[in-house]
Amino acid sequence: MFGSWHKPSTSSTAATTEPGAEQQTAQPKPGTRWPWSLLTGLIILALAALIPLSGDAATLHTWTLILMFAVLAQSWNFLGGFTGYASFGNVFFFGVGAYSTGLLILSGRPFWLGVLAGAVVAGLLAFLLGLPVLRLRGHYFAIATLGIAEATRELVAIRNLGGSGGEVELPLPALSDTTFYFLFWLLALACFLLTAYLARSKPGYALIAIRESEETAEAMGIPTYWYKIGAFVLSAVPTALAGGLYAYWSTGFDPPTVFDVGISVEMVLLTVLGGAGTLLGPLISAILFELLSFQFQISGSAFHNSLLGLTIAMVTIFIPQGLVGLVQEFLRPLAPGMSRRQLLVEGVRRVRRVIAANGV
Amino acid sequence: MLVLAVGSLPVRRLPFHREVSAMLIVQVIVNWLLLGSLYAAVALGFSLVWGIMNIVNLAHGAFILVGAYTAYWTFTQLHIDPFLGLPLTMLLLFCLGWVVQYVAINRVIRAPFLVTFLLTFGLDLLIADVVQLLFTSDRRSINTAYSGFGLTLGTLHIPFDRLLAALIAVLLTAALSLFLQRTRTGNAILATGMDRDAARLMGIRIDRIYALTFGLGAALAGAAGAMLVELYPFDPSQGGVFTLRAFVIVVLGGLGTPWGALAGGLVFGLAETVVPLLPGIGPGYDDAIAFALMVLVLIFRPRGILGKAFYA
Repeated sequence: MFGSWHKPSTSSTAATTEPGAEQQTAQPKPGTRWPWSLLTGLIILALAALIPLSGDAATLHTWTLILMFAVLAQSWNFLGGFTGYASFGNVFFFGVGAYSTGLLILSGRPFWLGVLAGAVVAGLLAFLLGLPVLRLRGHYFAIATLGIAEATRELVAIRNLGGSGGEVELPLPALSDTTFYFLFWLLALACFLLTAYLARSKPGYALIAIRESEETAEAMGIPTYWYKIGAFVLSAVPTALAGGLYAYWSTGFDPPTVFDVGISVEMVLLTVLGGAGTLLGPLISAILFELLSFQFQISGSAFHNSLLGLTIAMVTIFIPQGLVGLVQEFLRPLAPGMSRRQLLVEGVRRVRRVIAANGV
Repeated sequence: MLVLAVGSLPVRRLPFHREVSAMLIVQVIVNWLLLGSLYAAVALGFSLVWGIMNIVNLAHGAFILVGAYTAYWTFTQLHIDPFLGLPLTMLLLFCLGWVVQYVAINRVIRAPFLVTFLLTFGLDLLIADVVQLLFTSDRRSINTAYSGFGLTLGTLHIPFDRLLAALIAVLLTAALSLFLQRTRTGNAILATGMDRDAARLMGIRIDRIYALTFGLGAALAGAAGAMLVELYPFDPSQGGVFTLRAFVIVVLGGLGTPWGALAGGLVFGLAETVVPLLPGIGPGYDDAIAFALMVLVLIFRPRGILGKAFYA
């Protein structure tokens, strides 16, 4: 699984690299460049906080969604990136948050109560569902979570939760768009700080150990099962908070939007594009990818999905280790006294080696 | 006339009477077998690709779409019957799958499974979008001269096209199984699925075997698509639904053999035809039941019903 990403490749392709090539050292573990990553992330978020100054409603709308996806991707990273358990059903918690908030607002309660209730319910559900589901691994875990999300979407629609077909209509929110923007911003910041904490703390190391080798981690005395469940709960709560905020912000939703498999896939996509298990990866790729996606939507609407698909295919083929991994590859110290030409050759060689390591 | 109950597809359901007659039970069993076999065809290629290459091919639904629209195009433009045109559709899809694997997926085959997951998702978006651009998002259906005709025994009704589709599905399963077990190339595919590096040391060109396997998977998906468009109205948004169903079917049946896809298809068909007729449940829960079943199977028997360690 993720382990092979960070270990030097033992495949036959690695053995065929010429002797002159620099020995393939282990990729820098998340955390070695921690202070710089933390600083960069905080600067990015501080700049993002300036967006409402532009006064443009469309820009604000776009960036609200970008921050929402940053929250979703970062919370997916807790389990999928650090622990290596790729959930394809995290949208389930998004939907749970949205429905808790929607139903409580419809019953006359304040919206913050709904959002908090959604987070609590999602946390509990993550715990209860994690008990059986986290015994599965790899594809099987991915599919089981996907199944839970899909089945819930259908159940919500059939039980007519909130309205016929599960459609929920909410009153217009009392908060301004800028307030919503900063609520999402705070959530993104909290997720970022939590990721930074995990990258540099004992619980975080335990999660990474599970990703690298679950048996070894267990043998080292880490209660892997409970750590995995903890990571699942940790990734569920911010997702549910984002879902609750989204519900109130959008003023109306139905099961196909808040239980959309596409959102689950996007969480995975953003994290992997940025670099799974890294501090900056999900945040950066949420911004870049969503901006690109919106640009496609605006410019050539007929080709929107084709372009998106092509981008995803290109990125997965050429930088499968994620953007952060690519940058780190280039930042690795070079041998001193290299000419420009040699530097170029070395750079090309590094990228080609990464591509070749994944090929047949 | 009785119309088959077919899950969430837009066809009328069997009327449920309190006094279930023996004939109705027979009819339900026939419906179940026909639908289950068809679902086996939907999952067969997906199961092969997953079993041999450990790739969960999210572009499977897109291949089904391409198959369906190829059959639609050959029927409306060239006036070839979809069942007779099946080899043509499969050949085209084989080439498409072969190229996709050789050009794209082979490059990330050793990457963590998430990477192939995402790559095939991107391909799915791309292919489905191209199909939509070419054929628009209108619903299409094929009406052959024999649509609506069938065998009638008393109240029992078996439509010809469904029967034919089910037979072809079983035939394809058997053919795939025989091909893998009995031919040299099939054995090479199995060997590559068991141990990639050992297979390479035995002189097997695994890049070609992978391309071949993926091509076969795409061809089988194309066959399923051609049969689906013959039976149900089709539009380009349906690809994803069939990817998900193939997922569930393969998990239910297990990855071991092509027969696992058939077993999984039959179990999935059960959830869609019989369960809605049980008193107290009613229609609409078919996907929820199928997914719940899948999660239960995953937890209690992760290998599936017929699953083995390898595709052998």
